[in-house]
Amino acid sequence: MSIKSLVAGFAGAIMLVALPAQATEITHDLGVTDVPDHPQRIVVLEYSFVDTLAAVGVAPIGIADDDKRDSVVPAYTKVIGDEWTSVGTRKSPSLEVIASLKPDLIIADTSRHEAIYGALSEIAPTIAFDSLTGTYEVAMEAAKTIAHAVGKDAEMDARMAEHTAKMDAFKAEIGDVSGWSAQFLIDNGEGIFLHSPVSYNGSLLAWFGFKSNMPTPDGHTYEEAVVNTSLEQLSEINPQIILRGKYADPGLTDSWVGQPLYDNLDAVKSGNLFDVTAHEWSRLRGVIASEVSAANLVDIVKQLKR
Amino acid sequence: MPTALRFALLATAVLLAALLSLTIGQRSDVGITNVLQLLFINDGSLARSAVVDLRLPRTLVAGLIGVNLALAGLALQAITRNPLASESILGINQGAALGVAVGLVVPGLMVVNLDVMAIIGAVLAGIITFSIAGGLGGRLDSMRLILAGVTVGAFSFAFVRFTFTLDDNLSRLVLTWTSADISSARLDQALPLLLWATGGLVLSLAMAHNFNILALGDGASQGLGVDPRRARLIGAMLAAVLTGASVAAAGPVMFVGLVMPHLCRLWFGTNHRLLVPAVALGGAGLVLLADVVSKLVRFPYETPLGVICALIGAPYFLYATLRARNMA
Amino acid sequence: MIDTLPAQRRTVAPSRAILLIAGLVVLVIAAALWGLSVGAVAIPVEVIVNTLFNLPGEQQAYIIMKSRLPRMVLALLTGGALALSGAIIQGVIRNPLASPNIIGINSGAALFALGLVLVFPAIPQVWMPLAACLGGFCAAGFVMLVAHYRRLSAIHLALIGVAVGFVFEAGVDYLLIVSNDSESSAPMIWLTGSLWGRTWAHVAISWLPLLTLSALALLLSYRLDLMALGEGTATGLGLNVPRQRLLLLVVATLLASVSVAVVGIMGFVGLMAPHIARRLVGGAHRLMLPVAMLVGMLLVVFADGLGRAIAPPVEISAGIITALIGAPFFVYIMLTTALEQD
Repeated sequence: MSIKSLVAGFAGAIMLVALPAQATEITHDLGVTDVPDHPQRIVVLEYSFVDTLAAVGVAPIGIADDDKRDSVVPAYTKVIGDEWTSVGTRKSPSLEVIASLKPDLIIADTSRHEAIYGALSEIAPTIAFDSLTGTYEVAMEAAKTIAHAVGKDAEMDARMAEHTAKMDAFKAEIGDVSGWSAQFLIDNGEGIFLHSPVSYNGSLLAWFGFKSNMPTPDGHTYEEAVVNTSLEQLSEINPQIILRGKYADPGLTDSWVGQPLYDNLDAVKSGNLFDVTAHEWSRLRGVIASEVSAANLVDIVKQLKR
Repeated sequence: MPTALRFALLATAVLLAALLSLTIGQRSDVGITNVLQLLFINDGSLARSAVVDLRLPRTLVAGLIGVNLALAGLALQAITRNPLASESILGINQGAALGVAVGLVVPGLMVVNLDVMAIIGAVLAGIITFSIAGGLGGRLDSMRLILAGVTVGAFSFAFVRFTFTLDDNLSRLVLTWTSADISSARLDQALPLLLWATGGLVLSLAMAHNFNILALGDGASQGLGVDPRRARLIGAMLAAVLTGASVAAAGPVMFVGLVMPHLCRLWFGTNHRLLVPAVALGGAGLVLLADVVSKLVRFPYETPLGVICALIGAPYFLYATLRARNMA
Repeated sequence: MIDTLPAQRRTVAPSRAILLIAGLVVLVIAAALWGLSVGAVAIPVEVIVNTLFNLPGEQQAYIIMKSRLPRMVLALLTGGALALSGAIIQGVIRNPLASPNIIGINSGAALFALGLVLVFPAIPQVWMPLAACLGGFCAAGFVMLVAHYRRLSAIHLALIGVAVGFVFEAGVDYLLIVSNDSESSAPMIWLTGSLWGRTWAHVAISWLPLLTLSALALLLSYRLDLMALGEGTATGLGLNVPRQRLLLLVVATLLASVSVAVVGIMGFVGLMAPHIARRLVGGAHRLMLPVAMLVGMLLVVFADGLGRAIAPPVEISAGIITALIGAPFFVYIMLTTALEQD
């Protein structure tokens, strides 16, 4: 380490001590909140916020990881380590555990945590963004705002530039897919759930230029983003490419093999049904997650049978 | 109107409902004009596949659980001498849902598979409700029966709803199961149902005389050579098996067992020899119609059958309680 | 059908009653203190004392003062209210199986609360308690009006209550399915009855109505005793039975609706507490009502603490714990009373 950087570090430390804790005003989905400068102890209540923090090299101290530590994937843990405390499920995180971590910033989901926003705010400044029903664009905007809140604007700018370059490269590699309709769906063994054009995955596919044969809903509610469907309706939508995330094996779609209606789906008939990791695709969002999905897509497009 | 004509009308209504259920769906290439042709002539088209592979099993499952549940309700009402008794009011359906939820959430407690879990839940709930109502002592109290059923049902649903607060995927699984979604019914689910329905119909017909006698009261039954305890036991077993089989195939479908015997009594009188076939036909028709509604109510998306039946049946139950001035 | 309440005629000596009540009060206090110390984060007694009385030394200000203390207060308030509500409804309907659930309160509250969150997502969720209260009152109000104006028997009233409950329940199921929304947790957790995320804000909106109504219920207890003598005798003693019944049911409904509004559907408390109380002090309502109230408080405070302590950081809804304790208890009570009657 050079003398120069040591001095700079010292100066920075002195500045931190000398200046009163400044606050940054952050406008988010549930209001405007003063966030202390450079929050150190951050608790996040959705995976997409882990993504954002990992993108700018910040390790959260608490994650609502659904009490499953491996749900925070290696792409994140290689940056944030595995020192975080689980604060319970994303649906109902433990307020006591959050409080015991003495956080200085909480990042929550708009729809999931609206009802406890007041309680969270009593623990620490809380900012909320639409992760559950937001699109790719919404996730990118949220990432920038969060980076601003944690005082990592420069890092995020750099990461965003890298991200844009990467995504553009992926897009170039994928090429012109405007002639292809693609559909992401979840198969949980009892039902299939299509992610519509207003969902995160739908918007990501649209960003790469894929068409969707699903009608575009007006709103952004959860039931408009994730639609429970039958085989008959899938046969009407009839996408040319199916990206399938299975939470159960064998899935419901596997039981349809041999049925003409299923076998004659364009995607199935032409061999353009691809399995992707359900957890990564359906639950993770953000800068890093979208790059993972995009890399998947590049592989998939290479295998496309025309 | 002669009885034969009434049956003919009812049968026609069931056939029409079945036809509607086959015709309505998301695919635009199946219509009322070509559905029969598609059903009987194999032209190799996808429309044919949609009708035969997807809609026919579903229509069969809907009709058959209608038969089963309506017969179960009729038996329950006969043995309890209570016109309000039925699977949903006695907590049996909710017990089945609880069985499924337990199986999904705590895989360690899973016995064989979800179907078996549904039947175990249904039978346990039924036994508890009946024992609370004094059924073990041989003296059923109809008020206690209903209050106990409601409480058993409430307990079951408390747990089912608790699973909704757990993992996203788990809650979706439970929700699909407990709302009786039959949109992916398969032919191999319809066949066992057909067996149960046939058996149920035969046994119900055989019991029709006993049910008639039972209505006269325990003393009179014994005088007429019918052992009321034995008749009740057989009736209860019949109801439990028919309900269990339906729940295993489709999930809990509410109120069919209440509504159909009621309506049929209005039209066919109280003689069980006529009631049994009428209730069986009517049950099939009712669930088939509910299936049609379930496809239309949020077209092109489907609404599970169980939800539609509850939306139809619950107001009917309210209507029935409001009308009956001196019930129980 | 006349299903007399068990142990209706048994009463206990006043000295024993006072001793019992004192004992229960001690138990409630002990459970409340235990509730302060257990949860996802274990807190030693001295830290609790430091925090409560602002003494020097380690404190856990948020967890004790802003999380567990308001939860404890709400558990006491709603536990007592639900128990009183259940005791009154059992007394009026004169059936030991009756509970606030029986006259449709829970289902009505559930439908309105879910409807608000799922159909009108633009309305802030802070209005959910109000909607729930309104829904509970709508359902029960319909039942009571029908029963009052058609002069129905208590049994018929219960039946209509059950039917109304089913209608609202069907609506709840429809909303759950259509919105596909087991994702936003708040309404789901509320449906199972939980003190998760409850703060002083919830105490602020509910303490005054709950305390007032509880006091009113205790004051009205002697009328229940008169009504327990049977409709004819009560009328002979100058009681306008239909009007008293309506008044009592309104109080019971309000108690349950307000409770349901703040903590959700806390099952079995309204059913269990009166039974336990009746076993302890007999069926005279003057004595039974306060005892039931204490038992209800004890149940909910205990269930809340246990739910937090079982599997941290995941919290089990208190309503699930009360149902888990309540269901076997219910079956036991019913089987034993059924045998007694035979």
